[in-house]
Amino acid sequence: MHLTRHEQVGVSRHGFSRRSFLHAVSAGALAAGTLSFRDLLSLQAAELRKQGRSMILLWMAGGPSQFETFDPKPDHENGGQVEAIETSVPGIRIANGWEKTAQVMDDIALIRSMTNKEGNHQRATYQIHTGYTPSGSVKHPSFAASVAEQIGSEDLDLPAIVSVGNTEGAGFLGVQYEPFVVQDPGEMPRNVSSPVADARVQRRLKLFNRLEDQFAVRGGRSIVESQRELYEKTTDLVLSEQTKAFDISEEPDDLKAAYGDTEFGRGCLLARRLVETGVSFVEVRKQGWDTHTDLYERLGELTAEVDPAYATLMTDLKQRGLLDSTVVVWMGEFGRTPQITARGGRNHYPRAFNLALAGGGIKGGQVIGSTTDDGTAIQDRPVSVPDLLCSLCHALDVNPRHEHISPLGRPMKVVDGGEVVTELFA
Amino acid sequence: MSEIKTTTLAGLVVLLAHFATLKAGQPDEGLPEIASSDAVAVAAQVDQLLDASFSDQGVTPTEIARDEDFLRRVCLDLAGRIPSPQELAEFRSSTDEKKRAEVIDRLLDTKDYAKTWGSYWREVIYSRATEAKSRRSQGVFQDWMTDQLNENRPWDEITTDLLTATGDTQEVGSTGFLFAHNGDPAELAGETSRIFLGIQIQCANCHNHPYDQWKREDFHELAAFFPRIRVRRDQSGEKRTFIIESADNDRGGKRQFDPDRLFKFLDRDRDGNLTAEEAKRNKQFGKRFERLIEIADKNGDGAVSREEVKDLPKPPQAKGRGDTEYFMPDLDNPSEPGTKTVPVFFVDDASVPYGTKDLDRRTSLAAAMTSPDNPWFARAFVNRIWSEMLGEGFYMPIDDMGPERQAQLPEVLDTLAAGFVANDYDVKWLFRTIANTQAYQRSVQESDSEALPAFASMSPTRLRGDQIFNAVVQVLGGNADGPRREAARLKAKKKGKGLPVPGLDGKDARQAAFSQLFNYDPSTPQVDLVGSIPQALFMMNSPVTNNAIQAEGRGVLTRLLSLTDNDDRALSAVYIRVLTREPTDTEREICHEHIADVGERGEAFEDILWSLLNSSEFLTKR
Repeated sequence: MHLTRHEQVGVSRHGFSRRSFLHAVSAGALAAGTLSFRDLLSLQAAELRKQGRSMILLWMAGGPSQFETFDPKPDHENGGQVEAIETSVPGIRIANGWEKTAQVMDDIALIRSMTNKEGNHQRATYQIHTGYTPSGSVKHPSFAASVAEQIGSEDLDLPAIVSVGNTEGAGFLGVQYEPFVVQDPGEMPRNVSSPVADARVQRRLKLFNRLEDQFAVRGGRSIVESQRELYEKTTDLVLSEQTKAFDISEEPDDLKAAYGDTEFGRGCLLARRLVETGVSFVEVRKQGWDTHTDLYERLGELTAEVDPAYATLMTDLKQRGLLDSTVVVWMGEFGRTPQITARGGRNHYPRAFNLALAGGGIKGGQVIGSTTDDGTAIQDRPVSVPDLLCSLCHALDVNPRHEHISPLGRPMKVVDGGEVVTELFA
Repeated sequence: MSEIKTTTLAGLVVLLAHFATLKAGQPDEGLPEIASSDAVAVAAQVDQLLDASFSDQGVTPTEIARDEDFLRRVCLDLAGRIPSPQELAEFRSSTDEKKRAEVIDRLLDTKDYAKTWGSYWREVIYSRATEAKSRRSQGVFQDWMTDQLNENRPWDEITTDLLTATGDTQEVGSTGFLFAHNGDPAELAGETSRIFLGIQIQCANCHNHPYDQWKREDFHELAAFFPRIRVRRDQSGEKRTFIIESADNDRGGKRQFDPDRLFKFLDRDRDGNLTAEEAKRNKQFGKRFERLIEIADKNGDGAVSREEVKDLPKPPQAKGRGDTEYFMPDLDNPSEPGTKTVPVFFVDDASVPYGTKDLDRRTSLAAAMTSPDNPWFARAFVNRIWSEMLGEGFYMPIDDMGPERQAQLPEVLDTLAAGFVANDYDVKWLFRTIANTQAYQRSVQESDSEALPAFASMSPTRLRGDQIFNAVVQVLGGNADGPRREAARLKAKKKGKGLPVPGLDGKDARQAAFSQLFNYDPSTPQVDLVGSIPQALFMMNSPVTNNAIQAEGRGVLTRLLSLTDNDDRALSAVYIRVLTREPTDTEREICHEHIADVGERGEAFEDILWSLLNSSEFLTKR
């Protein structure tokens, strides 16, 4: 199969309304108009797909303070009340409150020199989740969707992308790469189990399919086909043994306790189960990091939930031999201002912030980049959002320069610009 | 001719002056003459044009649709719901030749018409909103839009209101469009052009448009109508809200660099020269001193004098918010302020000068856009509504038109657009005209026959969220408790998360939450619409559907089955209720086989009702 670039101006009756797209089929099929835009996308996806790695994104929504997480400045007035604690790696010190994470620092690479321009929650969240700033004209596919398109497993009954909490969607990549959103981690997702026995589900589906055939003949063929694809995928899910992955009740009590009996703790345990089952991308969100006021009062609660869950996820993945194939990212949409405000908080600060990476061949126990003593600027080795996404692609064995074609015919790379932070993999 | 509205006399003068500069005689831009602007007459003219095209191509269009198909279609399009079994029976038994025209008029007079299209426009605008906090106002917007449609306000007036709105976003629904993009000039330029003109000029944001004549300047000159919109947070009242207002006072330059101040603080020996030693006293300045020497130290003495500092080029003013004029970004130097840009409307080059007040800018733009001399305004609306009703537009995607696009049957589009203009952008006139065409009333083409050209048959389309909600409520029981309860649950759940939830401030919050599961961006081409797994799970497994389809208890099936022992009659009743039609012979056969296989009447009918609710036909306008 070869990829050619097809230019089409104007409109044809059955589906093609685009001026330009990639396709991997014969001109005959195109001329006959039997393939939709989406068919072409999935053909392309099949060609790209490699059995793959997974990613877990621990998203600290609101923007965590770098000073109170992994870039403490106890000797500067901007450092606030923070204390720096030792970690399992001599020389790497992080903020107090992260005592459990400190113990797994051997496997974690910190980037203290993230820099970006977006200081608005929604825009920065969208940008980091898609690689593009929001635009009314196109809904960009999430990075997760682009990843799943390239490395999603063929044999998986579960959706390739699961998110604990709402997240960005697949944009024009379509239903196959939409995130399956879980609101109560640890419980079975709503409506996923059938109220009738499996045999009756099958009986209903048989009747349903025969009746669907009738509508297909009477003029609804393309609608019926898309509905059938959706129902096959949904039925796979409903009838699959793999849905057990959503139920954490069978996990040992001490492990559950180590993750923490919290929403984030259960989310992290669920993430491990899903990755183990073959899900390509799991996001677990922790709200509440937007600490404009009363930073230190709120920090305790946040770290008490995130620190044990994060550290236990790391050890659990490692013990199961999953850490080499699972990239774990801890980050939020930006950092927080060096100056502590009159109301005891810190405001948004995209200019210099930090994050933590592990797994997928990333060398742990190292710090990349640094900020100035007062934390106002990057001192060394600035890393941009595209640099980060390129590095994640490298760790996931995903091609960052693969081009999607937007519905308006505009080619759009998975990641536009940026370079792999090679030190991560040294 | 639509009325020109400006806020001030000065604005009017500015506007008139620039109307005098309108570009004349652009090729292929005008709308044709039409003999009569009456809805039925224009509908007939549309059909004549289509018939001529079909006979040229030697094709025969499909038959006129049966009454039940037409009634379901027109109820969904004009009222957002399916017909009740009784409505269907009455319609079928009527022998009145004008019954179709009458039902069209009747539906357009109901509040349901305004409600379903109010919901449609909410999705058009908020599906592409770039400002999340604006979603809390979408209910206010939807109510406002519904009122406008209910009063049948002309489309040029609605558009003008949307572009010129000011006020509290929690109270003034017309602010919704501006708030959806937080008043951002570039986003508003792109969306204004896309939604109201069907032209994707935002592709020219960063580069000259690859397929069109538009240049980067055209896009940024359009954005230059919007730099003075301010979205101000207001906490003075009981609730926090945001106000859309004009920012006509120049707030630039407030952080200007003051050399005297610098010397006052740092020139310790007062010799009028700053040395590295002196500069170091200020940490931040000290770091930059070396760079300052590089660019400012003209005499090379290693220090900078007051005069040398004063000679420095003026630092660029912060661009973006706070400027009263718009600057086109410099792509090579994004940190530079860019090029100051005068507002010009790319269709007819209507322009206003620098210094024009915010509302005069926006009013001028609205007037130029909605002018009958701008054919794209009428075409965009006609193309959108026609496509929604017939399942296929003249231009596809519907919001990607423009002089270099090729329309199918452009003469038909222009005839409708001319009628729309002649009727002063009367929205109900357009619905009435389209619904009365034979093109709208044709049946769907059977799948195995050779594909007919556009508009020779009806193209089936996927229902929108509000239509599905109404249909589920109608099928499963009049009180709508099931889906509403589910919606309320979803709402409570979302609230607990503290996340903004689209649609929750709508008049019926429960419906909005339910619809959220099924809603899609109405500007999406039909071929790109696919369902989602949570939707399928909801229809397959949710307690809402499964409790309501029980043959025992108080559900719809209990009643239908108790009315007759005759399975054929019961089947008809179920089909009419769900799909507004009798089952075909083959479908009867399939269902009878199923009833025989299962051996238990109630269970078998539960399966049948389940299959019909999950069917693609139920989710489709046919």
